[in-house]
Amino acid sequence: MRGAEGEPPVVALDNAEIVYDRHFLAVQGVSLEAHRGEIVALLGPNGAGKSTILKMISGIGQTERGEVTRGSVSFEGDDVTNAKTTPMVDRGVTHILEGRRVFEDLTVEENLRCGLYRGGRRLRSKKSDYELAFEYFPQLEDLLDVNAGYTSGGEQQMLVIARALIHRPNLLLLDEPSLGLAPKLVEDIFETMREINKNEDITMIVADQNAKETLEIADHGYVLEGGQIELSGPADELVDREEIKEFYLGAGGDESQYSEVRHYKIRKRYN
Amino acid sequence: MSDVVDVATGLEFFITGLGKGSVYALIAVGFALIYKVTGVLNFAQGWFAALFGLLPVVLSTSLVVSFEISPLVAVAITVFAGLLLGLVLEFGIFRFFIGEPVLSVIVVTLALVASIEGIVQYLVGPGYRAYPEAVLPDWTVPLALGVELQGPFALAIVFAVATVAALMAFFRYTVMGSILRAAASDQQAAMVLGVSIERTIVVAWAISLTITSIGGVLFAMSTSGWSFAPYTNIGILVFAAVVLGGIDSIPGAFIGAITIGVIEELGTGYLDPVVAPGFGTVLPMLFLLVIILVLPYGLFGTERIERL
Ligand SMILES: Nc1ncnc2c1ncn2[C@@H]1O[C@H](COP(=O)(O)OP(=O)(O)OP(=O)(O)O)[C@@H](O)[C@H]1O
Ligand SMILES: [Mg+2]
Repeated sequence: MRGAEGEPPVVALDNAEIVYDRHFLAVQGVSLEAHRGEIVALLGPNGAGKSTILKMISGIGQTERGEVTRGSVSFEGDDVTNAKTTPMVDRGVTHILEGRRVFEDLTVEENLRCGLYRGGRRLRSKKSDYELAFEYFPQLEDLLDVNAGYTSGGEQQMLVIARALIHRPNLLLLDEPSLGLAPKLVEDIFETMREINKNEDITMIVADQNAKETLEIADHGYVLEGGQIELSGPADELVDREEIKEFYLGAGGDESQYSEVRHYKIRKRYN
Repeated sequence: MSDVVDVATGLEFFITGLGKGSVYALIAVGFALIYKVTGVLNFAQGWFAALFGLLPVVLSTSLVVSFEISPLVAVAITVFAGLLLGLVLEFGIFRFFIGEPVLSVIVVTLALVASIEGIVQYLVGPGYRAYPEAVLPDWTVPLALGVELQGPFALAIVFAVATVAALMAFFRYTVMGSILRAAASDQQAAMVLGVSIERTIVVAWAISLTITSIGGVLFAMSTSGWSFAPYTNIGILVFAAVVLGGIDSIPGAFIGAITIGVIEELGTGYLDPVVAPGFGTVLPMLFLLVIILVLPYGLFGTERIERL
């Protein structure tokens, strides 16, 4: 039993099936939970359904004609199956989309400014507007007047996390934060995510292909494959599983080279 | 002596071009604003201007309605109608086209063009309608060499400059302005921050048609009355102006419109007698063709940032 006694999970998917365009089955029979204060890892190769799950939790999947056609999604005990994005944002869900979606022709400051509103109202806190962001990403302070499109990949990743942080979420969904970043930078950013999770009491679901780094900061992990959960468990146990080592951490090789992984092997062993 | 006359004539053409250009600018900025925020190319912008230009006539004479309103109030109502129509269009039509292919939205704006032509035919027909005396400025602005700037053009210049300055400040310094630009640059990324795309579109349409209504009324004033044909011409010139300015740039639309106005007026003044009547009106289009070839993003358009 994870989470505090009697408290419903922040997010729970119960046997969820997710379909795009009414016909394309992307996720099938997935059940997972994220409890207050946890970091949950969603792992798996390209096309496994990681992003799809996040998109249906935040509701943004509906803009891509995604729909939960079976099972349910709940948030803090309430049924939110196929809820729209705006009410989910109002409930405290902030989604960092895959691919470092900074507003390119806005400056870094203007990007941060866009995080200042929630539910049509200006967020107020004791700290000054961006202080929270600078606490975790001091580099951004020097870039305030730079067009976000001209900052480096690492800076853009920091910016989208900072922008989401200013938005004061209860639940933060992070999609591929490690994408295309140098290993050292990935380590730093993941370490900062962990600090944010602990200090600001923000529950996180992190979808990433970098299993090693993600499991290092996560409490619990799910491994997806072809839209289904193949493996799940406490992060520290998952790291030690042979299959994970073999297929997702690479035998000492480059751990993000999924294209070379032969996925069917995993399915064969766990079905 | 004749040199002075020539300079004076040239100045007159130029000043009139500036004035006309400012009228175009009010409509072009409305066009650019909608494109910038919502991605919709509203081909009906000039036709909306025609509708707004007609409204004071309709309201202040017993042409169509059975009551008359003071002409000045009629103008005020027209501007308010611009705001209102912006809201109505968004709630009634464009809201349902969020995320639909660009082509279907363009078809909708073309349908609006046809509808407006129909409405105008029904209301007054294509003929000329004199404007109520009371709203026509009876003053001019004297300039050098005995050249005078017409009242409506003077008003257009003031309104256009003020509008562009206000919009630029709005987009640069306010949170709402940043949010509108953010939503324009990446709808999904804005939505997951709680931005309501519907609301940004409402704001854009309301501001756009308010500005355009001012342009539509001032144009009618500059010719002391309203007739339909010139507005359809404006509808096309405005498109040229906006493309010249870079489509999604507010100051670009302004400068593009001024340029088009001046080119048109100088062309009409100097080339019409030599080449053929009406050549001045075609000239901006020829100019546009060259611009599209030389500057595909216009003068100030957003080039996609290409990172290495
Ligand atoms: N908008 C969409 N419309 C239709 N199908 C989609 C859409 N988005 C994703 N899919 C499909 O759904 C499946 C799951 O994709 P998803 O993006 O969730 O995978 P992922 O695990 O996030 O992969 P990656 O690691 O490459 O980001 C894939 O087969 C994909 O092609
Ligand atoms: Mg993905």
